[in-house]
Amino acid sequence: MTLQFKPSETFRDTFTYAKTAEDILRFPFPFPEDEYMYSVNIEPHVKGGPTAAFQAVFDIDEHYVAECRERAKVLAEDPKRCQVLPHMMAAEWDTLELIMESLAADYPEHFTLTKAGDLWTWVNRPLGLQQSFTFGKAETLPCPPFEFITRQAQGDFTLQDQREDNLFVDGGMVTTQADWSLEFDIGMTFHEWHGPVPLAHEKGVFDRALKYLMRLQCGQPVRRLNWTMTVNPRLDTSPENYPVWGPDKATVTPENVAEKVHLRVELQTLFRLPRSNAILFGIRCYLTSVADIARVPKWRRRLHRVLRDLHPDIIGYKGLPRYRQMVIDHLAPFDDGVPTSRGIAPDTDTLDAAR
Amino acid sequence: MSDQGIKSRPKYQPIAPEPAGRHHLLVVEGAEVPGGALAEGVSPAAFEVWTVAHRSAVPGAPVMEEAAGAVRTFRSVPHLLGALQERLARERMGLRLYGAGTEPFVWDVFGIAQAAGLGRQETGFAHVGTQARRIFCVHCRAVTENVSTSIVTCSGCGASLFVRDHFSRRLAAFMGVQVDAEVPGEVPEAEELYA
Repeated sequence: MTLQFKPSETFRDTFTYAKTAEDILRFPFPFPEDEYMYSVNIEPHVKGGPTAAFQAVFDIDEHYVAECRERAKVLAEDPKRCQVLPHMMAAEWDTLELIMESLAADYPEHFTLTKAGDLWTWVNRPLGLQQSFTFGKAETLPCPPFEFITRQAQGDFTLQDQREDNLFVDGGMVTTQADWSLEFDIGMTFHEWHGPVPLAHEKGVFDRALKYLMRLQCGQPVRRLNWTMTVNPRLDTSPENYPVWGPDKATVTPENVAEKVHLRVELQTLFRLPRSNAILFGIRCYLTSVADIARVPKWRRRLHRVLRDLHPDIIGYKGLPRYRQMVIDHLAPFDDGVPTSRGIAPDTDTLDAAR
Repeated sequence: MSDQGIKSRPKYQPIAPEPAGRHHLLVVEGAEVPGGALAEGVSPAAFEVWTVAHRSAVPGAPVMEEAAGAVRTFRSVPHLLGALQERLARERMGLRLYGAGTEPFVWDVFGIAQAAGLGRQETGFAHVGTQARRIFCVHCRAVTENVSTSIVTCSGCGASLFVRDHFSRRLAAFMGVQVDAEVPGEVPEAEELYA
């Protein structure tokens, strides 16, 4: 199916972001069961999956052009949202290669990569870009290679260096984040940058995840889903701009809750990189309003049950206390108590009427 | 609230010379090696020691003095940190670097060590003295020093910052996040926590 991009939709101020029916049904709904707790929910990142969001190495959807424009705005306002420590240059080129080759293979109608030895030409039709450059020579690109390619991808990316039996977050492009700061966290070890997450340390989640990731193999990427909730379809919920978006949380009412509150899902992917032995971490953000989720019977039942029974520490950490009850109250009348099937698939290819 | 359960907060141990080290350099924030900085039974004579006199009339001394037991005195903390950069730039493998002092001091030392290529296993730090914190405002990037309360006014943007336990070794600082961002003016009373 051909993607119809919506270049003028916005993720701030006017919030004109909206989803087509196809886009709702391809949402990577994050709850495989009716209750949620932290776990090492990592699986191979292979094509095919419960929704269409899993059919490419780097998923592109109808919001691609608008999201790239939003990223450019954030970077213009705060260039430090993209930083890579100097020893990571090989990982920068690894990233450029992986994303260019993947996009060109998965979306040949939109992206083309041609190579004549080290002389590469990259064509990005949705953004109207064509760039010839010499692979490995940063001065032949208009900006450093990691920034160049991640400006043309949806979702955030970080680079992890592996040394001293640990992973260090030594670079990133972070403009669509769920409340964490690259400027603060850059250079941290795996356990340090996950420091603020409650419960999971005690459950050994990070010890196990670190061991697993240190053995990640080139060509065998893995993925997991993570989630939170966001008021308004705002991509940039950074700590830096918390004084700007924080007041949104106090604007939720029982009347507007379904349109205002969005389930925010991160399709997280991890790739071992060939030259640098670093790990590229993709954090692809999807926003779907409670109203749109309520159009899928399985999803509305399950979201209601998960939120109703959520652990208090997770409610606090994810910043939900001001409006969680309103979401539950909105969804409760649509939860008839019928059992739901395992897994995240919507189990339908049509949507119910809005409710 | 003083332990928010956040795991990026550093843990410290009393300093002892790491057996694999060729030479051991200990830098301290005051005029003497503070009590409690060294592990039981460890003598300051095991280290080359750099101290800070906090006065101007201190004669210069060579940066590369290597003998264990030697003591070099600096006029101020920036004076010591500048010399440390020079020293580490000229060092060979096998040096072990230790720091004892307040948290901002030891992590400034760590930052200089890291920039010079020392790994975490080649350094060791003891936190002695005040528990007061350096706070990095995540909104405006200003640093507020010597914070002993749970909430502090940012020296840069004036926001009322909640002091999170989240610690950046690179910035040698804890994170400050505006406490009333969601409902401006809703500022809880500050508690004295980090004296």
